[in-house]
Amino acid sequence: MGLSYKVRLILVCIGIFVMVVLGFFFKTLLIPDSFGVYGPFRADAIDEIVEIPIRHGTNDSCFKCHPYEAKIHKAGLHKTISCEFCHGTYADHVADGKKTGVLPVKTGEQITTLCLRCHNTEIKARSEKVIKTVAMPDHLRDQHVKLSHNCSQCHNVHAPLKYINRAKQITGLMEKGQ
Amino acid sequence: MKIKDPSPDMKKRSFLKNVLNGTVAGCLYLVYPMGADSFEIPEQIPGIRNKPYDIYDQEFAFVVDITRCIGCGSCCVADKREFNVPDGNYRTWVERYVKGFSDRIYVDCPNGGLDGYQSPRTDIKEKIRDTFFVPKLCNMCREAPCVQVCPVGATFTSPDGFVLVDDKRCVGCAYCIQACPYSARFINPETRVVEKCTWCYNRVRKGLLPACVQVCPTGARKFGSLKDENSEVYKILKGPGVLTVLKKEMGTWPALYYKGARREVV
Ligand code: HEC
Ligand code: HEC
Ligand code: HEC
Ligand code: HEC
Repeated sequence: MGLSYKVRLILVCIGIFVMVVLGFFFKTLLIPDSFGVYGPFRADAIDEIVEIPIRHGTNDSCFKCHPYEAKIHKAGLHKTISCEFCHGTYADHVADGKKTGVLPVKTGEQITTLCLRCHNTEIKARSEKVIKTVAMPDHLRDQHVKLSHNCSQCHNVHAPLKYINRAKQITGLMEKGQ
Repeated sequence: MKIKDPSPDMKKRSFLKNVLNGTVAGCLYLVYPMGADSFEIPEQIPGIRNKPYDIYDQEFAFVVDITRCIGCGSCCVADKREFNVPDGNYRTWVERYVKGFSDRIYVDCPNGGLDGYQSPRTDIKEKIRDTFFVPKLCNMCREAPCVQVCPVGATFTSPDGFVLVDDKRCVGCAYCIQACPYSARFINPETRVVEKCTWCYNRVRKGLLPACVQVCPTGARKFGSLKDENSEVYKILKGPGVLTVLKKEMGTWPALYYKGARREVV
């Protein structure tokens, strides 16, 4: 009431100014920098996701330091299987070109369990065209061995038919080079 | 006759060439800071490395071939290891579908398929017509319901078509978990924010295949660029084979296609 028109006008102007300043302040406070570059999200998040370090190398990443396994693996029917599935990741084993960690190596019974993950006939969901399967213990009975045999005693884990083909060559059941 | 000794000119040229190559390589190295190790790994998706990544000019697709899946769980193991996924949560998983003669469908998925499928189902009384495995992962919907419901803009579709989660912005409200028709999302109990399969966006941008694709022993999972006409997925999508998507009627337009999926697969 007591305020003159001019004072009120100035007060209103100051009010608007304060609102604008506060508005900008909260806007910068609440909206991250890169928001809205590509759309209603933080564009930097994309780069942050790209930066997540990878943990799996590829089979190629193992070959350099393991030439012996590499040669066998590449020549055999298991060439499509990942070393890292059976052994563990590159990141757990190598950093900056040096071995930093020990990867577990499966033995005995564990190997049979591993093989049967993929080769078990019992599951009845595996197309013959995709993978050959065996029924246990019939497979061992067919070979006339004790049922306590592990798969790796006859099959090289890295090239499953390596020994078997060689045995066949020696016994003349198979032409050389087949 | 060949002259062995190169003229001074030639030396200068090759010197300049070397300098230029060095500079270009150096620049590229700065542009692609991805750790010394990953350079040793050969590129798996052609045309990503050694070239600026045009985020607006990309299209990727994922094809799962159900007829080739043997349910070994390699993909699940790789996924868990790649992202240290906490126990009980799965970014990708493999379901077993069993179809009886009554047309009933029995689905199970012990531990997300991490341990593989070691034994057949014994609890089904009727005769079984068919058994098959269905790998599941993020469908990368082109019209993603999860993106639409996110109140803070933490879930978004990047310009190259990946549905990603900004873990700094996510408040863990779990709306997106409700919205996802494919149950691909979960709250990570350690970070308390939403997590899901990203088709290994961090690997793809480094020219590597997603971890699950790379370890699949039978080629049941395929990933590639649709901009590259020589890529396997381009040929599959272009080809005459029947491809389906999950829950087509929801209008999410997934970029994940299934080959050989029965009608019962949801
Ligand atoms: C099917 C699963 C499988 C795959 C795939 C596989 N391995 Fe193996 N690997 C094994 C098993 C099981 C052993 C144990 C050997 C044995 O007892 O016969 C082993 C042994 C080894 C060893 C010897 C360890 C030791 O100290 O005795 C090395 C090294 C090795 N693998 C490297 C590789 C590399 C490199 C690759 C990829 C080219 C690879 N493996 C692929 C299962 C696998
Ligand atoms: C930088 C070289 C290097 C690379 C790359 C490498 N390894 Fe090794 N690895 C070694 C050395 C050194 C040993 C120990 C010596 C030995 O047993 O031959 C070893 C041992 C192993 C063993 C036996 C168990 C152990 O840890 O001692 C396995 C299994 C193995 N490596 C698997 C792999 C796989 C799978 C890869 C690919 C992801 C790989 N390695 C890549 C150097 C390497
Ligand atoms: C990750 C799944 C997987 C695991 C684990 C696995 N294999 Fe294989 N195996 C395959 C695939 C895939 C093939 C190749 C089939 C093809 O190309 O025809 C194969 C091929 C074979 C073959 C040759 C069959 C033929 O085509 O004549 C034998 C034998 C074999 N594996 C034995 C084993 C043994 C023994 C083990 C355990 C050390 C094992 N496999 C572990 C997936 C696996
Ligand atoms: C006593 C040795 C022996 C043991 C132990 C053994 N196998 Fe075999 N396996 C063979 C021989 C020999 C063949 C080749 C048979 C043929 O070609 O007729 C074979 C063939 C196979 C085949 C190919 C079958 C086909 O239809 O072509 C697979 C798969 C296989 N074995 C898996 C396994 C698995 C898994 C284990 C472990 C649970 C195992 N084997 C244990 C000797 C063995």
